[in-house]
Amino acid sequence: MKALIIDDEELARAVVREHLAAHPDVEVAAECANGFEAIKAAAQIQPDLIFLDIQMPKLDGFEVLELLEAEGKRPAVVFVTAYDQHAMRAFEAHAVDYLLKPFSKDRFDGALAKARALQSALPSTAPAAPAVTAAELATSARQGKPLERIVVKDGPKVTVVHLDRLDWVQAQDDYVLLRTEGKNLLKQQTLASLEAQLDPNRFIRIHRSYILNLDRLVRVEQDTKEHRDAILRDGARLPVSRAGYQRLRELWEGA
Amino acid sequence: MHPLLASRARLGAYLLGWVPIALLLIAIARSQGWTWEAAIFLAVPLCLLAALLFLSAWFLCRALPLGRTVEGLGTHGAAWVMAAIFMGSLWSGLAWMLSRLLAWIPGLGDLPPRVDTALPVLTGLGILLYLASVALNYLILAQERAVDAERKGAELQLLAQESELKALRAQLNPHFLFNSLNSLSALTAVDPARAREMCVLLSDFLRRSLGLGERRLVALREELDLAKAYLAIEQIRFGHRLQLVWTVDPSAEPALLPTLLLQPLVENAIKHGIAALPEGGVLAVTAEVLDGHVILKVDNPLDLDAPVPQGLGIGMRQVRQRLLGRFGNRARFEAGVRDGVHHATLVFPLETES
Repeated sequence: MKALIIDDEELARAVVREHLAAHPDVEVAAECANGFEAIKAAAQIQPDLIFLDIQMPKLDGFEVLELLEAEGKRPAVVFVTAYDQHAMRAFEAHAVDYLLKPFSKDRFDGALAKARALQSALPSTAPAAPAVTAAELATSARQGKPLERIVVKDGPKVTVVHLDRLDWVQAQDDYVLLRTEGKNLLKQQTLASLEAQLDPNRFIRIHRSYILNLDRLVRVEQDTKEHRDAILRDGARLPVSRAGYQRLRELWEGA
Repeated sequence: MHPLLASRARLGAYLLGWVPIALLLIAIARSQGWTWEAAIFLAVPLCLLAALLFLSAWFLCRALPLGRTVEGLGTHGAAWVMAAIFMGSLWSGLAWMLSRLLAWIPGLGDLPPRVDTALPVLTGLGILLYLASVALNYLILAQERAVDAERKGAELQLLAQESELKALRAQLNPHFLFNSLNSLSALTAVDPARAREMCVLLSDFLRRSLGLGERRLVALREELDLAKAYLAIEQIRFGHRLQLVWTVDPSAEPALLPTLLLQPLVENAIKHGIAALPEGGVLAVTAEVLDGHVILKVDNPLDLDAPVPQGLGIGMRQVRQRLLGRFGNRARFEAGVRDGVHHATLVFPLETES
């Protein structure tokens, strides 16, 4: 079994490494100090098992998991974290196990046994798709607070889009096109699932295919009786459907 | 006990208020052809009597508190008028008795008949004065209540501050605690000596933070010691990612400030600064003295890719409130980002124990 240890603290990685030393069949293929390294390493190594911290700089554990899943990778995941208890139920739905720092040898061996059992039950390297997606997991771990940033993997490069830099989102089949700072980024997600994660007071579904950052809107122009356009700060135009216009009006009137 | 009798100054002011009334009485008497002696001998004791007698309006006012609505004013009014008529009559009755007594004094023999003719006027005046006294007593009651409310408010605020302090103490960031224990768990195998050192540091930090929470004011030295204990632990956790720079002017150390003001600042610097950056950075704590003021600064790098947070978080607002609560406009709290570095600055007057 190839394992990946992802934690920004050297000593925290050392504990996992030390416990793994008692299991010669598990090879520590790489140790990563942050999410970017983890994505790169996972692409090269194709790990069977990852030990994943939640709170890390730049990319947190949930975002790492989301990016791995977006690539179709489903390694067995053991969360290793001092994160608060509320998120634990969410972990259970998704991870093989979770370890609360600090943990005992028995607890660690138990988590490893679960990962092994999962592997032997599924001879193929891909475990069954989890009941919830990583994105949904992250949402429930945030306890209902809206998303602050979106992670996108574009080839080998990982981009973190902070939401105040996101202009608009367009649906493109199974993907969403994210418009940010003059660039377009593609991410495998449906517009509806992204919409559910966004703050409804900041991002409005103005059209079947578009979500708009309200901060970018200058005005709405009516071309013909049935056709309206949203004019954005950078001069761009996006179509506004009748339902979308209704939503905008409700927001303005409510404000 | 009537509040006017509780303090000499108040009683004096009240009696002084009766002087113009006594003068008025004398003037009226003089205009009716009374002699100076007769007017003064009657008016002065009569006013003194009234001053004491009409204080009884206090009990009436207390028994019939004014509501917020006009309802009840009818029954209140009836009670006021009846009391006023009774007190007015009592007063003129006393005037009648007084004139009989004063008639013994040579030269005041014609006082009884003069007073008898003035009795209706005196009764009317007594009624008016009593009603004025009722109004005055309601005023005093209202003022007492306001002072009382203010005192209760201040007490509540004090309580709130104390519970806040208790909360701060209990708030011992669990994330910090569990991560530290995890580092400790790692060190026991790799570096037992370091593990022991960390146990000592952790105990030191816990003891200090427990001890500090019980006091309202501490010397800056103690706040710095707590921060040092805390950062020494984080140093073990973050290794080379955390570089500490201490610049402390020894003359700032005895300065008194509200407890646990520095701790939230350094915890923030770790959480949003060092822990959020893969390479970490420099955390600088500076304390200097300028023009009788202490300038306490905590600087840390920020993730430039992350959006700059708007406004102050709850922790920072509490720091500001508690600082200004103690020093008022003699203190200042500033926080902001400049060139990718977050600066938090406390400025407060240098005041020491003695």
